[in-house]
Amino acid sequence: MRAITLIARDELRLMRRNRVAVIAFALLVLLTLAAALISWSHQSGIAETRTRFQAQAAEAFEAQPDRHPHRMAHFGNFIFRPLPPLAAFDPGVDAFTGNSIFLEGHRQNSANFGDVRQSSLLVRFGQLTPAFVLQVIAPLLLIFLGYGAVARERERGTLRQMLVQGVSARALVMGKLLALALVAALVGLPALIAFLLIAGQPGALAGPMAVIALGYGAYLALWSIIVILVSALVRRGRDALLALLALWAVLVILLPRVAPDIAAQAHSLPTRLETDIAIQQDLHRLGDAHNPDDPFFNAFKQKVLRRYGVDKVEDLPVNYNGLLAVEGEKLTSGLFDHYADRSFAIQQAQSRLTDGFGIISPAISLRQLSMAAAGTDLAGHRRFLAQAEAYRFAMVQHLNQLQADAVSYADDKAKDAGADQRKRISADHWQSIPQFRFIAPTAGDLVTASLPGLGLLLAWLALALLALLPVARHLQKARP
Amino acid sequence: MTLLTHELRLLLRSRMALLALLLVALLAIASVAAGMTEVARQRAVIARIQPKQAQDIAAVAQWAGKTQDPGNAAYYSFHATWDAPAPLAFVALGLRDVAPYILRVRALGLEAQLYDGEAFNPELALPGRFDFAFVLVYLTPLFVIALIHDLVSGEREAGRLRMLDALAGSGRHLWARRVLLRGGLLFLTLALPVSIGASLSHVPLLPLLAVLGLVALYLAFWIGVTLLVGRLRWSSVTNAATLAGLWLLLTLLLPTIAHVAINRAIPVGQGVELTLAQREAVNRAWDIPREQTMQAFYAGHPEWKDSPPLGHAFHWKWYFAFHQVGDESVAPKANAYRHGIEARDAAARSVGWLLPSVGVQALLARLADTDMQAQLAYQDRIRAFHTRLRNYYYAYLFTDKPFGQVDFEGAPRFDDM
Repeated sequence: MRAITLIARDELRLMRRNRVAVIAFALLVLLTLAAALISWSHQSGIAETRTRFQAQAAEAFEAQPDRHPHRMAHFGNFIFRPLPPLAAFDPGVDAFTGNSIFLEGHRQNSANFGDVRQSSLLVRFGQLTPAFVLQVIAPLLLIFLGYGAVARERERGTLRQMLVQGVSARALVMGKLLALALVAALVGLPALIAFLLIAGQPGALAGPMAVIALGYGAYLALWSIIVILVSALVRRGRDALLALLALWAVLVILLPRVAPDIAAQAHSLPTRLETDIAIQQDLHRLGDAHNPDDPFFNAFKQKVLRRYGVDKVEDLPVNYNGLLAVEGEKLTSGLFDHYADRSFAIQQAQSRLTDGFGIISPAISLRQLSMAAAGTDLAGHRRFLAQAEAYRFAMVQHLNQLQADAVSYADDKAKDAGADQRKRISADHWQSIPQFRFIAPTAGDLVTASLPGLGLLLAWLALALLALLPVARHLQKARP
Repeated sequence: MTLLTHELRLLLRSRMALLALLLVALLAIASVAAGMTEVARQRAVIARIQPKQAQDIAAVAQWAGKTQDPGNAAYYSFHATWDAPAPLAFVALGLRDVAPYILRVRALGLEAQLYDGEAFNPELALPGRFDFAFVLVYLTPLFVIALIHDLVSGEREAGRLRMLDALAGSGRHLWARRVLLRGGLLFLTLALPVSIGASLSHVPLLPLLAVLGLVALYLAFWIGVTLLVGRLRWSSVTNAATLAGLWLLLTLLLPTIAHVAINRAIPVGQGVELTLAQREAVNRAWDIPREQTMQAFYAGHPEWKDSPPLGHAFHWKWYFAFHQVGDESVAPKANAYRHGIEARDAAARSVGWLLPSVGVQALLARLADTDMQAQLAYQDRIRAFHTRLRNYYYAYLFTDKPFGQVDFEGAPRFDDM
């Protein structure tokens, strides 16, 4: 044990003396802090704009004058996706999904105005966030600081000396690893500070934050081991450096780009146009509202008449048009849900295939874990879309019901000069519709979603630790 | 020449050099293949929607044609627009994975339709696509560094430097020969796949030459940087570390910092502001006297002002008029939104003068017609098409001319553009 700490202390002293290493380390710390600050102010800016627009949209909705309820169903409502608190650490797909969505009667609109379509091409170079710095750049620093740790001793012949003096190869490797792991911990420290800042925000959950801390810790520890492993295996320091750089470029830069390409080819997504047309065709098949002899709508009419015990729709105590609107909305929304589920299932299959590449790239596993725990992954977006659709359905059905209850059938059909005024109902009705409230996922949901990534990372870590044993044995043979 | 073949033999005998060149070739081929597959897929999607679109219009024509009402025809007919990938699109897929290349519009207010997104998985778009531009901009510098960083220092460390310098005649040109050989081989491994891809995609010669020129220039930049660092007489390892640091700075860090700075410096009046205003303008029409809307409409479109006055009953021409008036009332906002995006794009391109990585990426996307400008040009084509659509239906609406089944076939088509 003493040998390990001695070796670690020695290695750390060497790193401290290496001016380039110290500068690189300081730069990375500054970069992390800068990224945290920029990202935090960026995200709070976005959150502020979205809240402002949300208030403006709600105000506009409530300020609408007396109207026919169906007009309000088409005036619709705008809702904005609130950012989860951890988005300041890892914004995930936020820039790529639209952040607002327009809700109206019998139409399902897409979320639009994603940042990627209103920013310059630079957005595709990556975003400067603490997550980006830790995922992409921190391993690079560990490579530069640690590639020579063991290789250097071998090149200079000091390895043989140490072994002769009775230092075990295992102690040597563990000592070097301990030193690099300490540096890795220091690298992660500024991010931890940023994290604590975020924790001060309302709504930040302890469970997901612990998973993120654990995941990034495992990732940095893993890279420390990989660096020491390669440094011990390769004959010369420069070979170790080149091998590690190549490994980093493949695992962190190349594979995360290749995997989605393969996923996109494996599971193709229908276009909006095709989905819209398919929904139209399905609707037509279910019932044709334009056809007076349509079996579906005739059956519906008979059912309504029977329920109220009357012979003609004119004799109903409620407005038949409103009932029709309620029934029609039920039909269309059922189809919307069906097609949305299908599209999401395909997207989920794509994402799962991409995540599967985490078996060969720990960077992919970490990204999955990080986004899932932060609530900024595809599932997080889907959560918003599902709640938005539920809200849209409730709002539109409420308005349709108002048409059935508060507008008389005769007025609804009338086309005389004063009819337009008689069809209108009081604006109080709009004001009583509750505003959209996003229900945030629970800590348990987020943690569960991040488990696959965490599992893969920990498996990598265990595997890398196991690989240290034969490597130490191999080193031991260097003794004459 | 014999000297060059000798050098080539020397270079290829080094296992690492051979491996590096093979890897570049493999990556370049894979990226060209991936790009071409994606472009082919997009073309297939565009082809696939045509019969479905025709079927959809036929279904609308079947019942709306019976009513003869041009309002029904205009309201229920969605018209497809599409943005076919340019022949060079496989080189840099640009924004084509996140911006729609198919959009359906109808003759109603365009501002509520123009910004609709396509269904795509944001997790796939997040890391960016694996295309030739990626291999060139991000990965090639790493190979340049791997092949050239120890050109001189490696010989020094092997103890051969003095001898090589002392060699009469060949010594002077030795380094130039070695650099040219490495650069040339790298260029070939990149240029061949892209040229083959281009000839398969029927790319004209000039744009292809421009791409090859960019490849050569970008390689030259990185070779120059590597040689400059090599002149500092550091060890091979220090050279490699310094160059990798520079690479990180130029391709990853500075562009992301520039992105934050540009978005800060040029605020884009949020697109959603525009949609909120448009919705207000359109829906207000239900609460103001209808004549007021018609006057506003006729002021901008006097060609229809002789249309018969409105009666008490609902008339579609009023409905379409207030949608158009709504669009016109937010035109300044729409312009400002677009100018904001253009300004950001221009700023990013000027960053390209300082950062070769950004410059090459931007130029490749421009040549491939997949950048923001291409997106905006597509929006312009949609606008022009939408104007034709409106005018086509107006001719029926404002003259109360019945709209029969055959008239559906006469509607403007996007490919007539």
